[in-house]
Amino acid sequence: MADNSHSLLSAKNLYKSFGGIKAVDNASIEVPKGSITGLIGPNGAGKTTLFNLLSNFIRPDSGEIVFDGEPIQQLQPHQIAQQGMVRTFQVARVLSRLSVMENMLLATQQQSGENFWNVWFHPGRVLKEERSQRERASEILESVGLSHMAQEYAGALSGGQRKLLEIARALMVQPKLILLDEPAAGVNPTLINKICEHIVQWNREGLSFLVIEHNMDVIMSLCDRVWVLAEGRNLASGTPTEVQKNTQVLEAYLGQ
Amino acid sequence: MEGYIVSLIIFTAIFALFGLGLNLQWGFTGLINFGHVAFMAVGGYVTVLLSDLDVPLPLLIWLPLCVLIGSIFAALLGLLIGLSTVRLREDYLAIVTIGVSEMVRLVALNEEWLTRGAFGVQGFPLPLQGFAPTLLTRIGMLAIFTGVVALGYWQLWKWLRQRLKGISRQAIIRSSLAVSGYLGSLGLLLYGTVIGARQLKLAEGIPAWLVGLTLLGALVAIISLYTWLARQTIPRLPDWSAGLSLVSCLLSLVTGLWIYQFAAHAIYTYSRTSIKTGLMFISVLVVALIFWGLQKLVRSPWGRVLKAIREDEEVAKALGKNVFWYKLQALMLGGLVAGVAGALYAWQLTTVYPDNFQPLVTFNAWTIVVLGGAGNNVGTLLGAAIFWAYQTMTRFILADIVPLDDARLGAFRVMIIGLLLMVLMVLRPQGILGKKEELTLGR
Repeated sequence: MADNSHSLLSAKNLYKSFGGIKAVDNASIEVPKGSITGLIGPNGAGKTTLFNLLSNFIRPDSGEIVFDGEPIQQLQPHQIAQQGMVRTFQVARVLSRLSVMENMLLATQQQSGENFWNVWFHPGRVLKEERSQRERASEILESVGLSHMAQEYAGALSGGQRKLLEIARALMVQPKLILLDEPAAGVNPTLINKICEHIVQWNREGLSFLVIEHNMDVIMSLCDRVWVLAEGRNLASGTPTEVQKNTQVLEAYLGQ
Repeated sequence: MEGYIVSLIIFTAIFALFGLGLNLQWGFTGLINFGHVAFMAVGGYVTVLLSDLDVPLPLLIWLPLCVLIGSIFAALLGLLIGLSTVRLREDYLAIVTIGVSEMVRLVALNEEWLTRGAFGVQGFPLPLQGFAPTLLTRIGMLAIFTGVVALGYWQLWKWLRQRLKGISRQAIIRSSLAVSGYLGSLGLLLYGTVIGARQLKLAEGIPAWLVGLTLLGALVAIISLYTWLARQTIPRLPDWSAGLSLVSCLLSLVTGLWIYQFAAHAIYTYSRTSIKTGLMFISVLVVALIFWGLQKLVRSPWGRVLKAIREDEEVAKALGKNVFWYKLQALMLGGLVAGVAGALYAWQLTTVYPDNFQPLVTFNAWTIVVLGGAGNNVGTLLGAAIFWAYQTMTRFILADIVPLDDARLGAFRVMIIGLLLMVLMVLRPQGILGKKEELTLGR
């Protein structure tokens, strides 16, 4: 286990049951600062539920979550995002009837224009912020190859483009950690490579990632460390090569 | 005539405001509010009850203060609804709001010590009562009024220029000629039908059912013919919508000016007794001001958050937006605007009964917003104008041509609105000014 002082996110002994089903059963996870950490497991292992618990979209029955040295399990989902931990969704969710650019601009934190008082009485400040954010958004869209779509409705994007937009939008938040839920699902191989390159590049710039993924190539090429979940419990953790050799993991995946 | 026009403008302004409030809540934020009339009732009642108190302030200061307090009470009602329905979504919110609006009406009906119940509140002070402006003041008022109208036309002109950009002059002329021919002949035919039906109704010895059936048959024939014509022409006229925009802008210019001259004359001849003219002046200014404020808001980052909540509130949460707080703001601000509309409504009615705030009023606002196009404030203004034009015109025309007695005619007019809304939903589900492409987008 990584040293606590280096961990950005650490969750211990999380429980969550829906009726009689224990979706997450005493699971723990740790994301060191500056890492790309993987989370794998068979379907129904509770990976997405764990994401929901970490970002507090669903409240855990028990357990503790510490992000950047602060306990966060009492915070609202939006407060967690404001703290610098942003999640994406398994099926990319874009705001259809907003333009791609508006989707990006929405994600900016601490906008003075989000207070209606400022809109009426400090229009200059709002306009100035908006302009600089627009520039930043254009740069990010450029880097993921969506700049030609900036003025289109986000609902007009293809599935793969939506994934890109969702990641780009998460980046606009200027977070410390991004939780990616299957960034490669339903995306063609070229685009997967592109997404991976971007993730590596952003990681070099200091951003940490926690990635759920079924595509083992992606996990192998990206992750420093992998956590394996099965039936809501921790099965193993270690470097990708270690995990791949682990017989328990193989059993869980192959169902032997 | 002038009196009719003035009261038409007042009603349009009041319901434009009322619709703007609903548009903020539903059109932009996606909150289904089926009890919008409650805000109007609270705003109206609080304003008139307060203004009736003995306060050592001149009315010129006290009345606006009453409106402010009344609309703040309406906003507080929004806060109350919001706080108590934190966990409710969509349909459930709709049910709660319709319940709240009935509760407000029933409280007004039964708490006679406060609202005088079914007897109604009357004799409360009205704005600009006994105000007798000098010629100079009247000219000043006229200038302000004209300024507001001119601003409106300027916006229309800007929109039209944007709309026609990049389309060749020839195509515009061709399509607008076609559209005017189409609309002109349709108008003439309908006019002829009205004349014919009037003669039929006046003629002795023809049974009412036969008159009704003939009228219905004629209308169905005309509508089918013109639907068929439109289907035939549209593929051959690629720029037909540009022509339609141009023709409808011209039409609204002409009708607008026609109405404007009555209003201008009313203001010019303002005297101590023309209290409605004063109310018209105030209502138009208030609508212009609030419309401008709301337009600023919905185009700002604040409005962007509301739209994000409408699209997918989980995403808004994931991006660090306090969804609950923004929903509350939308409910309160929409309620505040409806509260102002309520005060104006009370002044226009001069007697306030609980029955003025029936649930039907809420659905008038829905009709207006849906008609104009949800999430479009200009559409709401247009919707309010069309709605009241319809109300006024049918009052005169229908009685002449439809063989029904007065009580049934009232119900019949509402039925026609329902029918027209259904037709609109089939032909143009996005509303008159809504964007069609928004309908075809996937989630």
